[in-house]
Amino acid sequence: MSANVETLVEEPKKFAPAVISRPKGNGLWGQMKRNRLAYLLVAPVVVCMLLIHFLPGSLGVYMSFLALKQTTWRDFLGAPFIGLDNYATIFSSNNNPLAAGIQTAARNTFLFSIVTNVGTISVGLVAALLLNHQFRGRGFIRTLLLIPWVVPSFVVGILWGFMWRSDSGIVNTLITDWLHFTDQEHRIIWLQNENVFWAITVPTIWRSYPFTMILLLSGLQTVAVELYEAARIDGANAWKCFTDITLPMLKPVLAVIILWGVINSAYSFNLVATMFGNGGGYPGEWGDLLQPAINRQSFGTYLYGLGAASSTIFMLTMLLFVVVWYKVFRTSLTPGGGN
Amino acid sequence: MALAIKSNHFDRVKLKRRSLRAGAYAALGTLVVATLFPIFYMVVSSFKTQRELLIGGSVLPKEWHFENYPNMMDSIKFWDYVKNSLIICGITAVVCTTLAVFASYALIRFRFPGSGSLDIALILTQLIPGVMFLLPLYNLFLWVNTTFGIQLVNTYHGMVGVYVAFFLPISLFILRSFFATIPPELEEQGMVDGCSRLGAFLRLILPLCGPGLVATATTVFLYSWDELLFANVLTNNINTQTVSVGIRIFVGGQNLNQYHYIMAAATVVTLPVLLMFFFLQRQMISGLTSGAVKQ
Repeated sequence: MSANVETLVEEPKKFAPAVISRPKGNGLWGQMKRNRLAYLLVAPVVVCMLLIHFLPGSLGVYMSFLALKQTTWRDFLGAPFIGLDNYATIFSSNNNPLAAGIQTAARNTFLFSIVTNVGTISVGLVAALLLNHQFRGRGFIRTLLLIPWVVPSFVVGILWGFMWRSDSGIVNTLITDWLHFTDQEHRIIWLQNENVFWAITVPTIWRSYPFTMILLLSGLQTVAVELYEAARIDGANAWKCFTDITLPMLKPVLAVIILWGVINSAYSFNLVATMFGNGGGYPGEWGDLLQPAINRQSFGTYLYGLGAASSTIFMLTMLLFVVVWYKVFRTSLTPGGGN
Repeated sequence: MALAIKSNHFDRVKLKRRSLRAGAYAALGTLVVATLFPIFYMVVSSFKTQRELLIGGSVLPKEWHFENYPNMMDSIKFWDYVKNSLIICGITAVVCTTLAVFASYALIRFRFPGSGSLDIALILTQLIPGVMFLLPLYNLFLWVNTTFGIQLVNTYHGMVGVYVAFFLPISLFILRSFFATIPPELEEQGMVDGCSRLGAFLRLILPLCGPGLVATATTVFLYSWDELLFANVLTNNINTQTVSVGIRIFVGGQNLNQYHYIMAAATVVTLPVLLMFFFLQRQMISGLTSGAVKQ
């Protein structure tokens, strides 16, 4: 933002109704009046955010204090106020099945966010480094690798659910029938127990690494070749060049990738909802994520109050993540370029 | 990596370089195959019979059953869902991009009281779990209907309204970082030549924003095409339901295990966004990456 201050200072005053660097002392009202145009331009966005995000969102937080369940959901906000009881239920010991479901989903979501982002960034980085060399057909290969990025995630869930089937799925056909990594009696049952975690993680990485790759690739292309040459002369090997030049230069891009990567994976819903039958299908103890779990809690068992409390905790946790993210990456976020 | 190795005439170095190159090609080849195979498998599976898919064990179909597609389209009127999606997502992309152009311009070129809070609010919208405001939004829609007589549930405009609001923040992020790459001197010159501020923006800046606009519109289209949670609750009949809801009719219920239809439907649903990507990829990529990478 500070970059804008500098650039706008030189603006001729009589042609610029909205200059930010006016002498102070005009008061808030004066500043707002001068920026009429800006307010007019952002008004639709503000209205949309208030009506569709913040008003229903606030009602959602309020719902978390209500005994909103099957018998009372028609009263909506008129349901009895029970304070923090819903929160107490979520944090209660594991013998409450309603709470246990949310707790395992929270554990899975945490692991899922870490594993998918580490996987996405690793595969994306390898792909970007490979594509950072000049060779015939580079543009074509880049296009091919980007394709999963546009495949809708509900299709990814359906398609991989189909591929993971134990008896006739193509994954087991490959590793058992063709490559003989396991024998026929020990065909892996992907959609069961701990395996489910990999059944949802691998497709997520498959779908999200291409976009990470393209961001990293454009980041790599801003690194000056002279830097590497200078390092070579100083006797640095390839690994040292990578850790001392490439990674630091990629830090701003990585900051953006990590922010949106974690938000997207933590809130992912479609893949789990479509991979395990009609959305109501339980993905198992290791396949459940928070959004599908809360969705089942709310719209399956009508425990809207409990679901809202789970959502509120979830949201506050993510808020904490964003704050930590900001503290970690603040220095590498250059001003003037948005997020 | 290898690019920095300057010409060196020792054979050993040459050999090392050649084997590095071979390894890189092998890695790239593996990546391409692993990346494309699932999509290839989806398409070829859509031409098999249900029986062949339940048995499994092969990739290519024994016979190509092209009739799977018309049969699938007829069996649940799938075309209606595709039509609904095209209308809803198309209008959403246009409206969303238009609103975002002006708002992001205001955010990048003005600093006004509240602009900082708006930045934070934009991030916050992305942190509200969908399931939390789904029921309140549904009830709000019902309330608008009983109070003002405007139906929002089960309508195109209701869905477009929700999606525009959903994807405005992401549009703003993309466009704002795109505008940041355009020097402000350009409009200043225009204003000196007698344009109004808005006029200078519309005449001088906007024509340069082609890739940014295409990237924004296509991203919004992709995202709304992929939306399932809200579409599932806010629409409940074939007149407004989108493909993400429609395709689930094949997953479970009386159509259980009709994998040939599922794969055909999945292919049909992927095709429009894939075509869009092939035609617009240059603008999409330059528009989306200009923001993340600062020169």
